[in-house]
Amino acid sequence: YVSSSNAGGSVSGNGRHSSPAGCGGSGGGLSGGLTQPAGWQSLLSFTILFLAWLAGFSSRLFAVIRFESIIHEFDPWFNYRSTHHLSTNGFYEFLNWFDERAWYPLGRIVGGTVYPGLMVTAGLIHYILNLLHVTVHIRDVCVFLAPVFSGLTAVSTFLLTRELWNQGAGLLAACFIAIVPGYISRSVAGSFDNEGIAIFALQFTYYLWVKSVKTGSVFWTIGCCLSYFYMVSAWGGYVFIINLIPLHVFVLLLMQRFSRRLYIAYSTFYIVGLVLSMQIPFVGFQPIRTSEHMAAAGVFALLQAYAFLQYLKDRLTRQEFQTLFFLGVSLAAGVVFLTLTKPSLPPLLRYAKIHIPIIASVSEHQPTTWVSFFFDLHILVCTFPAGLWFCIKNINDERVFVALYAISAVYFAGVMVRLMLTLTPVVCMLSAIAFSSVFEHYLGDDMKRENPIKQHPFYPVKNSSVYSKLIVTMLMLMLLMMFAVHCTWVTSNAYSSPSVVLASYNHDGSRNILDDFREAYYWLRQNTDEHARVMSWWDYGYQIAGMANRTTLVDNNTWNNSHIALVGKAMSSNESAAYEIMKSLDVDYVLIIFGGVIGYSGDDINKFLWMVRIAEGEHPKDIRESDYFTPQGEFRVDKAGSPTLLNCLMYKMSYYRFGEMQLDFRTPPGFDRTRNAEIGNKDIRLKHLEEAFTSEHWLVRIYRVKKQENRQALDHKLRNIAAKQKYTSKKVLPSRFH
Amino acid sequence: MWRAGAVSLALIACFFRASLCAEGLVNEDVKRTLDLSSHLAKITAEIQLANHGASRVNGFTLALEAELAPHLAFIGASVKGEEEEDESLELKETTVHGQSGKFFEAQLPSSLAPGAKLRVKVETVFSHVLKPFPTHITQAERQLVVFQGNHYLYSPYPTRSQTTRVRLASKTVESYTKLGNPTKSDETVEYGPFKDVPPFSQDAMKIHYENNTPFLSISSITRTVEVSHWGNIAVEETIDLRHTGAYLKGPFSRYDYQRQSDSGISSVKSFKTILPASAQDVYYRDEIGNISTSHLQVLDDSVEVEIRPRFPLFGGWKTHYIVGYNLPSYEYLYNLGDQYALKLRLVDHVYDDQVIDQLTVKLILPEGARNIHMDTPYPITRSQDELHYTYLDTFGRPVLVATKNNLVEQHIQDVVVHYTFNKILMLQEPLLVVGAFYILFFTVIIYVRLDFSITKDPAAEVRMKVASITEQVLTLVNKRLGLYRHMDEVVNRYKQTRDTGALNSGRKTLEAEHRTLSNDISALQARLKSEGSDLAEKVGEIQKLDNQLKDLVCRSCQEAERLVAGKVKKDTYIDSDKTLSGKRQELVSRIDSLLDAL
Repeated sequence: YVSSSNAGGSVSGNGRHSSPAGCGGSGGGLSGGLTQPAGWQSLLSFTILFLAWLAGFSSRLFAVIRFESIIHEFDPWFNYRSTHHLSTNGFYEFLNWFDERAWYPLGRIVGGTVYPGLMVTAGLIHYILNLLHVTVHIRDVCVFLAPVFSGLTAVSTFLLTRELWNQGAGLLAACFIAIVPGYISRSVAGSFDNEGIAIFALQFTYYLWVKSVKTGSVFWTIGCCLSYFYMVSAWGGYVFIINLIPLHVFVLLLMQRFSRRLYIAYSTFYIVGLVLSMQIPFVGFQPIRTSEHMAAAGVFALLQAYAFLQYLKDRLTRQEFQTLFFLGVSLAAGVVFLTLTKPSLPPLLRYAKIHIPIIASVSEHQPTTWVSFFFDLHILVCTFPAGLWFCIKNINDERVFVALYAISAVYFAGVMVRLMLTLTPVVCMLSAIAFSSVFEHYLGDDMKRENPIKQHPFYPVKNSSVYSKLIVTMLMLMLLMMFAVHCTWVTSNAYSSPSVVLASYNHDGSRNILDDFREAYYWLRQNTDEHARVMSWWDYGYQIAGMANRTTLVDNNTWNNSHIALVGKAMSSNESAAYEIMKSLDVDYVLIIFGGVIGYSGDDINKFLWMVRIAEGEHPKDIRESDYFTPQGEFRVDKAGSPTLLNCLMYKMSYYRFGEMQLDFRTPPGFDRTRNAEIGNKDIRLKHLEEAFTSEHWLVRIYRVKKQENRQALDHKLRNIAAKQKYTSKKVLPSRFH
Repeated sequence: MWRAGAVSLALIACFFRASLCAEGLVNEDVKRTLDLSSHLAKITAEIQLANHGASRVNGFTLALEAELAPHLAFIGASVKGEEEEDESLELKETTVHGQSGKFFEAQLPSSLAPGAKLRVKVETVFSHVLKPFPTHITQAERQLVVFQGNHYLYSPYPTRSQTTRVRLASKTVESYTKLGNPTKSDETVEYGPFKDVPPFSQDAMKIHYENNTPFLSISSITRTVEVSHWGNIAVEETIDLRHTGAYLKGPFSRYDYQRQSDSGISSVKSFKTILPASAQDVYYRDEIGNISTSHLQVLDDSVEVEIRPRFPLFGGWKTHYIVGYNLPSYEYLYNLGDQYALKLRLVDHVYDDQVIDQLTVKLILPEGARNIHMDTPYPITRSQDELHYTYLDTFGRPVLVATKNNLVEQHIQDVVVHYTFNKILMLQEPLLVVGAFYILFFTVIIYVRLDFSITKDPAAEVRMKVASITEQVLTLVNKRLGLYRHMDEVVNRYKQTRDTGALNSGRKTLEAEHRTLSNDISALQARLKSEGSDLAEKVGEIQKLDNQLKDLVCRSCQEAERLVAGKVKKDTYIDSDKTLSGKRQELVSRIDSLLDAL
C-alpha cells in the first residue's frame, strides 16, 4: 500500500510540472477566462512545490512504516545522543560538554569537535514545539528532521533554478530533488545526519549568492552570509562553497564580466562570511590558516586589485599599458589561485588518502562506480549535460556559476561515493533545465496555437508537426514516469533500512525481525555497571554510547588512529597478549559482532583484516598482516587457515562454543554460514574472558574480562631458623628451595 | 505532671481496648495453609472463633509476627457465613501493649454472643520472604530458597487445636523443621495437629526447598492515565522489572540456553500481561525503541500481551519497559451534567502473582476540571497535585499523584475520581486552532496587500500600473472579439429562421456593448498615455484594426440580410462571405499578434 501510494504521489508530482513549464513559456499570453494569470500561476507553483514537499517527505518514510521511528546507522546515534544532551541540559552545557563516555580514558570535548548546526536545529524545533505545548519526544524530532528539510531543499532548489532559467524549470528541479535517490540516501527518516540539513543550506546559500550577483544588493549578500554561516555550522562540506564562489568570481573576471554588482557581492560575502564562519568553535581560525580557505582570500585580493585598476582605467589614458598591466596581474593571480586551490580542492577528499587504512576501510570513501551514478540519478545523469549545454549556450553571470558547480561536483562525485550528494542538486537543476526547454519547445507552441483555435473556431488548423510533438512529449513524460518509479524503488529497497534492526523474510512472505543489536545493547544498559568500559571495534562506538549508554574505547569519530590501532591489536593478538592490553585499558566487557549463525556479512570477522592492517600501521613489530593469511595468500577461517588467525582473540570470541553448534543436518557442527566454511578451531577455551551475553541469533556476543585472580596461596611451613642453623651445613640449600 | 498522667491514661485505654477484644475469645480450630509455591508467601488461616467470655464481643484482633510484618503486602479477613458468600471485614491497624509485631482490629458485622462460634478466614500475602539460598547459582543449577516462619498461628488468643499445611513448589526439599513429626508427601508438608497453644506463641519453622518459579518483581511502576473528553483514555505504564531470585554466577551461555531445556530454568523468558478488553493501539517499547519480541492476542474478555523482554532475565538482571494502550472513555467515564466520575483500576495486571515494590499513579484530568475528589479502595499516599501541559493546553491539566509501596494482585481494584467540568471548555481547543489559522491567514493578507518597503521606486510603480492597465485592455479586447463571434451566431440563426427582429435587436446590443467597450479601451489608452508608456500607441492600433473588423462584421450582417431578402444569389453570397471572413481572419491575427506584444 505504502509503496504504491508513494509512487502515485511522485508520478503525479512529475506529471504536473509539464503544464507550468508550458505556462512559463507562454506566460502572460492570452488569459482566456482567468482574470489574473499571475495569481493562478503562483497558486499552481505553490501547489506543485507543496506536492513535491509531500512526495519527498512521504517517500522518505519507508523505514518508519516498515519498522518504527528509530535512529538509523551509526553516526546518527551520536548526533541523537548529543541532541538529547542539548535538549536536556541547554545550549551552554552542550557547548561545554566533555563526554567522558567516549575514547576512554581520553574523553572527548564534544562542544568543540562537532558541527553543532544539526543538533541546534533539532533542539530548537523541539524547544519551540514544547513551548507551544506540543509534547513531541526529541527522538521524533530527530527522526523526521531530514524529511522535513528535504522539502526545504526542494524549495531552495526551485528558487535557484528559477534564478538560473525560469519558473517551469524551477518547479521541475524541485520535483526532481524531492525524490532523487542520490539525496534520499542521506535523508530518509531516521538518518539524522549533517548532510540532511546541509544540502538545504548549500542550495539556499547558492540561491542567495546568485541573487546577490544578479542584484548587487547588500541585503541579499548578507542573507547569503547568514545562510553560509548556517552551512558552516552544519557540515564540513561548507569548504565546497568557500571554494566554488571564489572560483565563480575568478572565472567571471577572466571572462571580462566584472561588474559593480559582482564587486559588492563578493567583497561583502567574503568579509562577513569569514567572520561568521569563525564563530563556530570547531572551525575557529581555520578560515585564515588552512590552505583550503586561501583561494577565497586570493580572489578577494584579486578582486580588489581588479576594481582598483578599473578605477584607474577610467582616470588614465594609457590604454595599452592598462591592458598589458591587467593581463599581467590576472595571469599572476591565476597562477596564485591555481597553486592555492590545488591543495585546497582535495579538502573534501582529504579522506581519500588511500594509504591511511582507517580511511580506506570506510565503504563510503570508495571511488564511485558508473553503476552508482545511474542508480542514484537514473535518467538525470543522461540529461544533465544537455542542461549544461543550454546554460553555456545562453551564458550569463549566474549560468557561469552553475556550469562551474556542475563541473566541480562531477569531479568530486567521481572521487568518492559519499560526494555523490553534492552532485545530486546540480544534476537535478540542469536536467530540469533540459526537460523544461524540451517541453517549452514541444508543448509551448502548441498551447499558443491551441488557444486561438478555441477562440476562433473558423480558423483552419495548421499543425503538421503535431504528431512528432505528441511523440516527443509522450516520450519525455514516459521518461519522467520511469524516473519516478525508479526513485521509489531505489528508496524502498536500498536506502530504507535502519541497519540497527534487521529483517528476514520467510518463504510465505512473513517477516522475522532480528533485533539482536538492541537486545545486546539494552542488556549492557540494564545489567552492567554504569561505568563499565566496553571494548569493541570502532564501528559500534556510537551505537554503544547511544543505546547502551556505556563508556567506549573507540568510536566512529576516528580522530585517534593509535587508540584504534591499540584496539585492533588487542583483537588480533592471542588471548594473553590481548589481556595485557585490555588490562591496561581497564576494559570490562568486549563486544563483537558475529554473523556466522544467520549469515550476516557485515560482521567483525569480515572486517577483521582492516583491524589487522590498522594495528600493523602502528605496531608493525607485533602484528603482521601476512601472518593472518595462508601460505597461498588466502584469508580462511577453516582448518587451512593460518594458526595466528585461528588463535587470535577475535577468532576465539567469535567462534567460542560455535564448534558444538549444528545449524542444520546438511552441514557439520561449527559451519559458518557467512563464510561457508567449517571453522578450523572448534575447541576454544577462554582463560581471561568469559561469555557474558550472546544475543538470540548470536549476532552480538559480549565477553566479560575477568579480574585478576588472587595469587595462589603458597603452601609453606613456618621457618624454624634457630633449629635449622644448628644442624645444616651452609653449603647445602634447605630442601624446600628445590 | 499532667502530661505524664495523660500518657499513662492513654496506655491504660489502649490496654483496655486490646484486652477488651481479647477477653474470652478462643481459637477453637485453626487450619493454616502456607502457599510457598510461587515467589510469594500466601498464608491463609481458617479460624473457628468461640466466645468463652461472659459478654458479647464486637471485634477481634489479628496478629502478625514481628519478623514477617515488614513484608506484609496484603491482609484481608472475611467471615464465613452459612451460605457460600463471604463477608469481608474492615481492618484497622492497632497495637497491643507488651507484644511485638503488627496488629489489626477486625470489626464484626454483628456482635458475637457468649458461647457462640464464628468461622473467620484470614488471608495474608508476604513478598520477598523467600530468600534464595545459595544466593548465587550458575546457569545450570536450580534455585533453592529458604522460608522462615512460625509453626503456630500467631494470635492473641489461646488456640485449642491447629494444623499447618505447607505447599511447596517442587518435590525437592533440602530440609525442613521437624516439629511434631510432620508428614511430607509430594509437594506438601503437614504439621500438627498442635493442641492447646498459648497466645503469642512462636516456634521457628524453616523450609529449604527448590523453587524455580520466576522471582520477578516490579521495583517501580509509574502508571499514567490521561483522560480526554474527546472519547479516549490513554494509559501508559513505565515498569522497572528485576529478577529477585538467586544471582547468576559465571557466564551466560546462549548455546546451553538454546540447546538444553533445563538450562536457566529459573530465568524468565516471557510473561503475559492482561489488559482490559477494550484496549487498543497497544505499544511495548523502551528508551531505544519498539521491542519487537512480543505478541498480542485479543480475547473476548481481555487483551493479552505476551511480554518478552529483549533478553531473558536471570537472577539479578533487570529491565525497563513501557506498555501503553488506549481505552474508549465511555466505558470508564460517567457523567451527570457537569459532574464526572472516572472509575478504573488503580493498578492493573502485569503478570500473575505480581509484586510491586513501588507504585506511582498519575491521573491526568482534562484541562479545567475542578472540585477533584479521589476515592481509593485502600489507603494510598497522595502527593502534591501537578500540572501537565500537552497539545493545545493553555493553563494546564490537573494531575493527581499517588504512591504506594508493596502491592500484590489483591490490590487490583477500582479507584473513583469525581470532578466537575464545564462542557463549554470543550470548545476551547478547536477555537484555539481556528484562531491560530485566522491570525496566520490575516497576516499573510496584510503582508501581501500592503507595501512595507521603506523606499519608493516610482519606475516599478509605473510598471505595475501599466501592467494592470494592459491586463484590463487584454480582457476588454477579448470580450470585444467575443461580441463578434456572438454576432456571427446571431446572423447564422437569422439565416435559418429569417427573424429580422432578432437580427435587429442583436445588432443593437452589439452596437451598444461595442461602444461601451471601445470607450473603456480608449479611456485605458488615455491612461496608458498619461503614464508615458509606448504601449498606448499599440492600443491605438488595435482600436483602428478593430474599427475595420467591426465594419466587416456589419457588412457580413448586411450581406446576410440581402441574401434573406433574396437580393443576392446564394453563390455570390458565399463568395463574398468567404472574402469577408478571410479579411476578418487577417485582422484578428494582427490584433492577436499585437495583444501578444503587449
